[in-house]
Amino acid sequence: MNATQHSPTMTQKKIGDVILDVKNISLSFGGVKALTDISFNVKEHEIRAIIGPNGAGKSSMLNCINGVYKPQEGSITFRGQTFRHMNSHQVAVMGVARTFQNLALFKGMSVLDNIMSGRNLKIKSNLFMQALRIGPAQREEFEHRAFVEQIIDFLEIQPYRKTPVGQLPYGLQKRVDLGRALAMEPQVLLLDEPMAGMNVEEKQDMCRFVLDVNDEFGTTIVLIEHDMGVVMDISDRVVVLDYGKKIGDGIPHEVRNNPEVIKAYLGTSH
Amino acid sequence: MAFFLETLFGGLMAGMLYALVALGFVLIFKASGVFNFAQGAMVLFAALAMARFSEWIPQWTGLDNKIIANVLAFIVAGLFMLAFAYLVERWVLRHLVNQEGVTLLMATLGITYFLDGLGQTIFGSAVYRIDIGMPKEPVFVMDTVFEGGLLVSKEDLIAALVAACLVMCLSLFFQKTPTGRALRAVADDHQAAQSIGIPLNRMWVIVWFVAGLTALVAGMIWGSKIGVQFSLTTVALKALPVIILGGLTSVPGAIIGGLIIGVGEKLSEIYLGPMIGGGIELWFAYVLALVFLLFRPQGLFGEKIIDRV
Repeated sequence: MNATQHSPTMTQKKIGDVILDVKNISLSFGGVKALTDISFNVKEHEIRAIIGPNGAGKSSMLNCINGVYKPQEGSITFRGQTFRHMNSHQVAVMGVARTFQNLALFKGMSVLDNIMSGRNLKIKSNLFMQALRIGPAQREEFEHRAFVEQIIDFLEIQPYRKTPVGQLPYGLQKRVDLGRALAMEPQVLLLDEPMAGMNVEEKQDMCRFVLDVNDEFGTTIVLIEHDMGVVMDISDRVVVLDYGKKIGDGIPHEVRNNPEVIKAYLGTSH
Repeated sequence: MAFFLETLFGGLMAGMLYALVALGFVLIFKASGVFNFAQGAMVLFAALAMARFSEWIPQWTGLDNKIIANVLAFIVAGLFMLAFAYLVERWVLRHLVNQEGVTLLMATLGITYFLDGLGQTIFGSAVYRIDIGMPKEPVFVMDTVFEGGLLVSKEDLIAALVAACLVMCLSLFFQKTPTGRALRAVADDHQAAQSIGIPLNRMWVIVWFVAGLTALVAGMIWGSKIGVQFSLTTVALKALPVIILGGLTSVPGAIIGGLIIGVGEKLSEIYLGPMIGGGIELWFAYVLALVFLLFRPQGLFGEKIIDRV
């Protein structure tokens, strides 16, 4: 299985209604405008890419959706509910998971514990039941463990279960980061440059995982990526940002031929 | 040989108690990145609450069973520490998220003075007694192995066992329960922890409460040894060299650091003392900490901080 074999299924894939709608978002830090009047939407089950040159505001956009940044203007609608700005915890509760551009794994913990911590919101037993290891708490832990094992199999990281993540090579750490997000059984998965700093082989693997997640679980994916080739291959629709403004939006083929986008990426002669 | 062992045991037991206080520092530092200057004040506050309630509860209810009174007083003092943890999170930590370490340190300095004052206002400032029925008389053990046996303080022995038990429960809690895992996650990366839906605020309350409980146990043991008085806060001062030795981020470090300092100061007092005129016990811990700061600033088990340039 690789990325190219997957692309034909793309057309047959059922894309649903708008699940996430971003309207007129503006974000500034002091005098620096990171985002100006950005609007776009994400439909259920699609892979939506946000691309743009360095400093275009891609990560800022993701951080607004995730509630890390509070935009000064605009609103975000998620599954019919409209918010002025999001709140990190609430976003997680609503079923949005994310990965990080600069890995933010729990370095001292094993691969297993990192991914298990992604199950946090699903844990129903309370502190005292856990501390006393009473039946239900224990049974629940086994169920979560079984689910996490599936993720570990899926990401092909079985040999590293007990390894502290800090000791793994970069490409594998990225997978663990993805695994932790998947453990939340998210409806929407935000991926912040999942392929940054990877070699060709690792990129192919990651593409495959992203497509499989989308395919098998129907997870909606919003991803930020630098590598145009990868983005064009795997995404259904693409938003292009440049200097905090939206300069393109559409299916990969349209975006690729958009003169503004070409200008932003290649520069123009004046 | 018997004398050496006696000294060693004495050191280990004292060390266990240092470790208990140091543990409070480490727990809070790990989970919230705050160097909690108020740990000493928490020990005093908890001990005061425990001492006074164990006295008041029999007065109010006419109960004359000492064990029940003590257990009730322990629970009430525990509830005080829970309320304290909640208020600290609500009024202080929540408003200082993402601030510099120094800012947080100063905030805990403020908490220290507040708590010292509050404790003595509510509970009074005289010297109080905690009587949890610790046996005061020493016993001889292993008299079949050594002639005359080893003289061991029963009180110290029980205290050390209680401390060891608490430490073991805490490390199991941190390693084996989902909440413990969430706490470790918060310690490693706030933002990532938030992104997977771990509620930071609740975790802070839990960790300050757990630190409050260790302060309560430490306060109870020290209090029953030397009485509950203001000088209890200086017990926390002894915990500083312990965490420098063990590393600020390591629970096993706090324990081993405590044991090393406990044993070190007793042995050096006995064997080096006569050579330079004694009194080593008072400063041994600090000099050892100084040596560590010079040669191994991250401590025995701490994380080495490498700054990329």
